[in-house]
Amino acid sequence: MRVNYERCGYCGACVGVCKSMALELIENRIVIYQERCKGCKACMIVCPLKALEE
Amino acid sequence: MRRVLKEEYDVLVVGAGPGGSMASYYASKGGAKTLLVEKSQEIGEPVRCAEAVPRLEEFNIYPSEEFVRSYIKGGYLIAPNGKRIEVKGGKTEGYVVERKIFDKYLAIRSAKVGTRIAVKSRVVDLYPCEDGFKVKVLHLGEEYTVKTKIVIAADGVESSVAEMAGLRCKKNPMEVCSCAEYEMTGVKLLDNHMMEFYFGDLSPKGYAWIFPKGDAANVGLGVIDKKKKAIEYLNEFLEHPILEGRLKDATPVEFKCGGVPVGGPIERTVGDNIMVVGDAAGQVSPLTGGGIYLAMSCGSIAGEVAAKAVKKGDYSMETLLEYERRWKERFYNTLMTELKYKNILQRLGERELNIIAEVMDERLEEIDVKKIIFKVVKKAPSLLKYFGELIA
Ligand SMILES: Cc1cc2nc3c(=O)[nH]c(=O)nc-3n(C[C@H](O)[C@H](O)[C@H](O)COP(=O)(O)OP(=O)(O)OC[C@H]3O[C@@H](n4cnc5c(N)ncnc54)[C@H](O)[C@@H]3O)c2cc1C
Ligand code: SF4
Ligand code: SF4
Repeated sequence: MRVNYERCGYCGACVGVCKSMALELIENRIVIYQERCKGCKACMIVCPLKALEE
Repeated sequence: MRRVLKEEYDVLVVGAGPGGSMASYYASKGGAKTLLVEKSQEIGEPVRCAEAVPRLEEFNIYPSEEFVRSYIKGGYLIAPNGKRIEVKGGKTEGYVVERKIFDKYLAIRSAKVGTRIAVKSRVVDLYPCEDGFKVKVLHLGEEYTVKTKIVIAADGVESSVAEMAGLRCKKNPMEVCSCAEYEMTGVKLLDNHMMEFYFGDLSPKGYAWIFPKGDAANVGLGVIDKKKKAIEYLNEFLEHPILEGRLKDATPVEFKCGGVPVGGPIERTVGDNIMVVGDAAGQVSPLTGGGIYLAMSCGSIAGEVAAKAVKKGDYSMETLLEYERRWKERFYNTLMTELKYKNILQRLGERELNIIAEVMDERLEEIDVKKIIFKVVKKAPSLLKYFGELIA
């Protein structure tokens, strides 16, 4: 997963559906811990702004 | 700040939203030494909300010019064909608040009864230890380990804190409403004291809203859709013919987005030395997506139970289960009924929604679902298949 920081509204919706705890919202920045990501795409589904890309 | 993070506490509340501020208020009031930890630089920021709350007198919180932007008398439910149903009075009354100010007001109210607050302080991990938790907090790049007897996880939709302690609270993506919203000025409202709710293909499996907010209005929507994004639906809604050009001269002053967990409460909201509150616990109305009132109510209960447990010197799950019993007694049945209604509503197409609107009275005080279904099925028996489980 990759975040398009230009599009992200730092709302944390993606963090709330990542069961692998691969996402964290730090102030206005989404951080992805790639080693934990299972590629389930849950985060992509809930993102209101299409800020997450494979 | 650094000193605050070097002490030990009875209760450590994570997240200074409405849930966390109310929980810490009642914990402090009950005599517990309480710390409220918020990762944002400013409490209340960023806003992810349409800012409508019901009356709050039961919390001894009275409407104040400080945070109330509009007084609300009720709402219009608007069907895809444009038919309006007016619902007024009772539970639909309330306010639209400035969340940035409201959230800070609640935090200050909690501080006034003794809560210590750490801002720009992020909980990154927690470990059970003898008699409580050791909570790892990052503040300005430095790591602090704060010992506490009880943790109250009120970290909102992100739901990471209780998950760190082994409680399952991450949500399924098809049970999170994906929202985008502009706060706009220059909106021609139907009525300065009425909320507007729009249903149909313009916002699949959710709804679009226009809420009056002082000189402005919150114009937004929430959808559950695997392909098209909330922001795309929102941009279309702004120009939708159903609005009859009422946003033509409107211009945004703020952009907000977010996710609302509408799949109902999580299975377990307590563990040894820990309670989960608010969005993190799924304490959100599945029908409206409203969560402020529930977070405040359940947060209050959690704070009271925490203070009692501290007095008793027993923070085990058995003692803290009083929280789960009490919040479920008040809200569980309503949440589960709403969940059922929501699941039906999500299956209805525009044709069905129009039929329902057609049989409903144009002015209502309360929505009597059974009565409406009865009339709908009488008019269009083919719709019975949607309502079977409700009638049975
Ligand atoms: C677009 C939108 C519109 C909405 N409209 C309405 C509405 O009109 N009316 C209504 O009642 N509800 C509405 N809701 C829902 C409402 O916003 C939430 O239900 C409510 O804010 C939940 O309160 P809370 O205290 O549980 O969490 P929040 O208000 O989300 O607070 C959680 C806090 O925890 C902090 N936090 C998170 N993780 C950490 C960490 N690791 N360490 C420290 N701090 C942390 C966050 O920064 C945040 O401040 C809306 C939601 C959205 C997305
Ligand atoms: S793809 Fe799945 S595991 Fe990876 S970050 Fe998104 S939600 Fe988490
Ligand atoms: S859901 Fe999308 S907009 Fe919201 S924080 Fe995640 S990536 Fe950013």
